[in-house]
Amino acid sequence: MSEELPKVLKAAGLDLLSCMQCGTCTGSCPSGRHTGLNTRRILRDARKNRTAILSDDALWLCTTCYTCQERCPRNIPITDALLELRRLAVKEGFMLPEHRRISEMVMECGHAVPLDEETKQKREELGLDSIPETVQKYPEALQEVKNLLKACKFDELTAEK
Amino acid sequence: MRIGVYVCHCGLNIAGVIDVLALQEMAAELEDVVLAREVQFLCSDSGQEGIIKDIKENKVDRVVIAACSPRLHEKTFRHVMEKAGLNPYLMEMVNIREQCSWVHADDPQMATQKAFDLIRMGVAKAKFLKELNATSSRASRNVLIIGGGVAGIEAALNLAEAGFPVTMVERESTIGGKMALMNEVFPTNDCSICVLAPKMTEVQNHPNITLYTYSEVTDISGSVGKFHVKVKRKPRFIVEDKCKGCVDLCAAVCPVEIENPMNYGVGKSRAIYMPIPQSVPQVVLIDPDHCVGCGLCLQACPADAVDYEQKPEEIEFEAGAVIVSTGYQLFDASRKKEYGFGKYPDVITNMQLERMLNSAGPTGGRVIVPSTGKPPKSVAFIQCVGSRDKTVGNEYCSRVCCMAALKNSQMIMERYPDAEITIHYIDIRAAGEMYEEYYTRTQAMGVDFIRGKVAEIYAGEDGRPVLRYENTLECRVEEEACDLVVLSTGYEPTKAAEGIGRMLNLARRPDRFFASAHPKMRPVDAPVSGVFLAGCASGPKEIQVSIAQGSACASKAMQLLGTGELEADPMGAHVDPEKCIGCRTCLEVCKFGKITIEDKKAVVDEVSCYGCGDCSAACPAGAIQMRNFENEQIFAQVRAATAHRSQSPFIVAFLCNWCSYACADLTGMSRLHYPTNIRVVRTMCSARVNPEFVLEALKGGADGVLVAGCRMDECHYIHGNFDAKRRMDVLKEVINGIGLDPRRLRTLWISAAEGERFSNTITEFVKELEEIGPIGTELKVKETGIKETGTELEEVA
Repeated sequence: MSEELPKVLKAAGLDLLSCMQCGTCTGSCPSGRHTGLNTRRILRDARKNRTAILSDDALWLCTTCYTCQERCPRNIPITDALLELRRLAVKEGFMLPEHRRISEMVMECGHAVPLDEETKQKREELGLDSIPETVQKYPEALQEVKNLLKACKFDELTAEK
Repeated sequence: MRIGVYVCHCGLNIAGVIDVLALQEMAAELEDVVLAREVQFLCSDSGQEGIIKDIKENKVDRVVIAACSPRLHEKTFRHVMEKAGLNPYLMEMVNIREQCSWVHADDPQMATQKAFDLIRMGVAKAKFLKELNATSSRASRNVLIIGGGVAGIEAALNLAEAGFPVTMVERESTIGGKMALMNEVFPTNDCSICVLAPKMTEVQNHPNITLYTYSEVTDISGSVGKFHVKVKRKPRFIVEDKCKGCVDLCAAVCPVEIENPMNYGVGKSRAIYMPIPQSVPQVVLIDPDHCVGCGLCLQACPADAVDYEQKPEEIEFEAGAVIVSTGYQLFDASRKKEYGFGKYPDVITNMQLERMLNSAGPTGGRVIVPSTGKPPKSVAFIQCVGSRDKTVGNEYCSRVCCMAALKNSQMIMERYPDAEITIHYIDIRAAGEMYEEYYTRTQAMGVDFIRGKVAEIYAGEDGRPVLRYENTLECRVEEEACDLVVLSTGYEPTKAAEGIGRMLNLARRPDRFFASAHPKMRPVDAPVSGVFLAGCASGPKEIQVSIAQGSACASKAMQLLGTGELEADPMGAHVDPEKCIGCRTCLEVCKFGKITIEDKKAVVDEVSCYGCGDCSAACPAGAIQMRNFENEQIFAQVRAATAHRSQSPFIVAFLCNWCSYACADLTGMSRLHYPTNIRVVRTMCSARVNPEFVLEALKGGADGVLVAGCRMDECHYIHGNFDAKRRMDVLKEVINGIGLDPRRLRTLWISAAEGERFSNTITEFVKELEEIGPIGTELKVKETGIKETGTELEEVA
C-alpha cells in the first residue's frame, strides 16, 4: 500500500480529520449490534493509516444504511468513506470469495445474478419471452460489455492476487 | 500659505542614517515653505516650544513634522498646534523613522532621498489641509437595557447606582431571566433565586430605573447619544398598580388549566397566574389564548385589578446607549428525533429538571419520573443535545451544560442518595475557576461517566427508556434502561433578538449570536457605537461571566455618556449635496448603516460615522469626501511622489492605519531592512483607496502600486478590506485591459504583527517590478507589435 489512507480519503472528499470519536456512528449501527463492526474504530484506523483494516472482514459487514452518516455531529461522510475503503481494499486484492464469484458472473454473463433455468421456465409460463431484453439475449451486446470490462481492467481488479 | 517643516533627529535614531541637515536645506527650498528646521528631539518640551514660537513669531500657518510614526506622536503635535492657537488639523506628520531610517540603515543615501520624497508628499498634502472641528452634541444619559436577565440586571444596577437613568425592557412577565428559574447554581451550589431575588427587587425599587416587563422593543432609530426607542407593552389584563400579588384568590377560582411557560411543560397553572413566586413585579397575568372570560377572577379580586379590556400600550423615549442582554433560548430537543423527546414521557430536558429541583417550582423540589410520578432510581444525562452538532446547525459548544449536568447530578444525589446517575459525554468541559474540583467532587459522589454520544433511545419492554450507545473507552456497544433521561440541551440565540439585531444593525457570527467589535479585545462592544452586549446575547456563557459583562457594559456606557455630550471625531465622511446624484451606492457600501437618503441626496450621520472611507471610494460622483483624507489631499501626495521618480522601480503604497501601516511601523521597530523603493500614503482603511488613486500613481510614472489592509475578517471596519479586495481585483483587470502588466498592482492583507512578511513582500515586489521593467515597457512592445494603446491609460484614469 503505497498511498496513505487518510490522503486517499481526503482526495476523495472524505476528510475524517475532524472526527471527535464520539461513537455516535457505532452506537447507531444496526449491523454492529450483531456483528464485530465498530464503525468508529474503522475510521480511527484509517485516520492513523493502519492498512490492516483493508484486510479486515468487518469492512464488509456494513449494510450501507447511512444511519451513521446521517447522525454524525461533525457531518463526516462516514458511509461514503467506508465504501471508499472497500474500493481500496479490492485494489489491494482483499475481496470476499462471494464478491469475487459475483464479479466473475458479471464478466461471464453481464449480470451479477444471471438467468437460471427455473426463472426461464417461469417466464414462459407467464407468457413472456424466456430471456428478457438484456445482454443475455444478444451475444454481440454481451461481447461489448465484456470488452468494456476488459478495457477498464475489471478482470485484473477482481482476479485472485 | 506659510508652511513650516521640522525635521527631527530623534537623537541618532534618524540622524544616524539620514542626512538631516541636507534634508532641512532641501525642504526649505520647497514652494510655500517659509522655514525648515532640524531639531534634536521635536517631542521634547523645547522642541514643542520652538514650534509654538515659530507659529506665533514667524506666522507659520501649517506645519509638517518629519519624525516618528504618526501612530506615536500625532496627538502630541496636534496638541502643540492647539497651544499655538492653530487648528490642530493643519499639521501633517511624515514618518522618517519607523518607515525610513530604521529600515534603510544599510543605504543612508537613498534613505535621505526617500525621506525628502516623503517630506515633499507631506508638504503637498499640507497645502490642502483644512481646519476641522470636533463637533459635540448633546447626548441622552438614559441607557436602554433590552432583557432583564442576570446580565441586564447587573448592568442596570451598576448604572443606576452611578446616577444614570436606566430603562429596562423585558419581554417576559417577570425579570430574572433563566437564572430565576434554576435551583442551585455551580460551582458554589448557592440557591439561585436567593442570590438573585434581592437584585430583582432592587431593580424595581431603584429611583433611577424605569422597568417595563411583558414589553417589547418595536423600533430603534437614530444613533449613539440619541437613539429613539419605541416599546410596546403587551396587555396582562391586570392593572399593574392595583394587583397585590395575592394570586391565591384569583387563581383559586379560575377553571382553566394551562402550561406555565416558565415551567417548561412541568405541571399546570391556571389561566390567571403568577409566573414564578418571586416574580418582579409581583403582578399576575391572564393568558388570553386560554382564558374563557368567565369573570370569576374579576369577582374574586379584592383589589379590582382585573381588566379584560386592557389594550397594548406604546411608549417612546430617548436613550444615549443600548445594552443588549437578550440572553438565549434552549435548543428544541424534539429536533433530535433519535432521542424521542415528546414521544417518551420520561425523556426530559435539563430545564425541566431545573424546574423540578427548584423548591419553589411546580413539583416543590421533588424530582419525579413523569410516567410513574415516583422519584427515579436511575437517571442518565445525555450531553451535547443540540450542541457540537452540525446536523442541527449548531457547531459550537454551549459551554455551560457540562457543569449544569454535574451540578444537577449532585443535587439529585443529595436528595435521593440511592439514585444511580450516569453522565454520557463526548468531552467534559469543566474549564473555569473551581470547576475541575467540582468535577472531581461529582465523581467522588459516585456519579458514573460514560464517554460516547448516545446514539438513540427506544422504549424497552417495561416502557422505560433504553439508551443505546458506544462506550468508546471500552469499544463496546451497550444498551441500558433507566427511569429518567435528561437531555442537556444547548443554548441558541433567542428568536426575539433577531428583530433587535435588525433594528440596531448588529452583526452576527456564523453561530448566529451577536458579534462583538473584536472577539478578543472588545468583548462587550457591539460593532455599532453606543451599543454594548452582555451575557448570552453574544454566545453561551455562565452566570459569573454574564455578570462580569453586565458590569463591563455599564462601565462602557458611563464612559460614553458621562458628560452628557458626545464629541464626534471630525475625520468622518461628509457629502457634497451639489455633487451627489442620489444613486444610493453608498447606502449599500456602508455596512454600519450611517448613510440615509434625504431629499434624494445622501446624508451621513457624522456623529457616529466610523471614518473608514469605503463610501468615498465607492461614490461614482466623487461627492463623498473623508475629512483629512480627501481626494485632493491624497492626489497631491501621489503626484508629489511621482513628480520625481527618484529611484527605479518606484512604488507608491497605500497602507491602512490599523494593520498594514502599523505593520510597517513594526518592521521598523524590528529593524528589518527592505529596499527603499516604496513611498507610503496612509489611509484609515484599505477601503478608502479609490481606484483612481492607483491609476494616478501609474499615470504619474510609478512602476508599481501596493494596496495593503488588514487580514480578511480582521478589518477594523468589519467589511472594509473585502470591499477593497473586490475593487482591486476589478482594477487589476482594468490595468490588464489597458495593456499594462496587472502584477504592477499588488495587494497585501497583513496583520500588525507580521513585520517579516511585510519586509519580504516589499523585497519581492521590487524584484518582480525589476523583471517586468519600467512602467510602459509592455505598452511599447505592444505598440510596435500590433496596435497603439498609448493614450488609453489617460482616458481610463
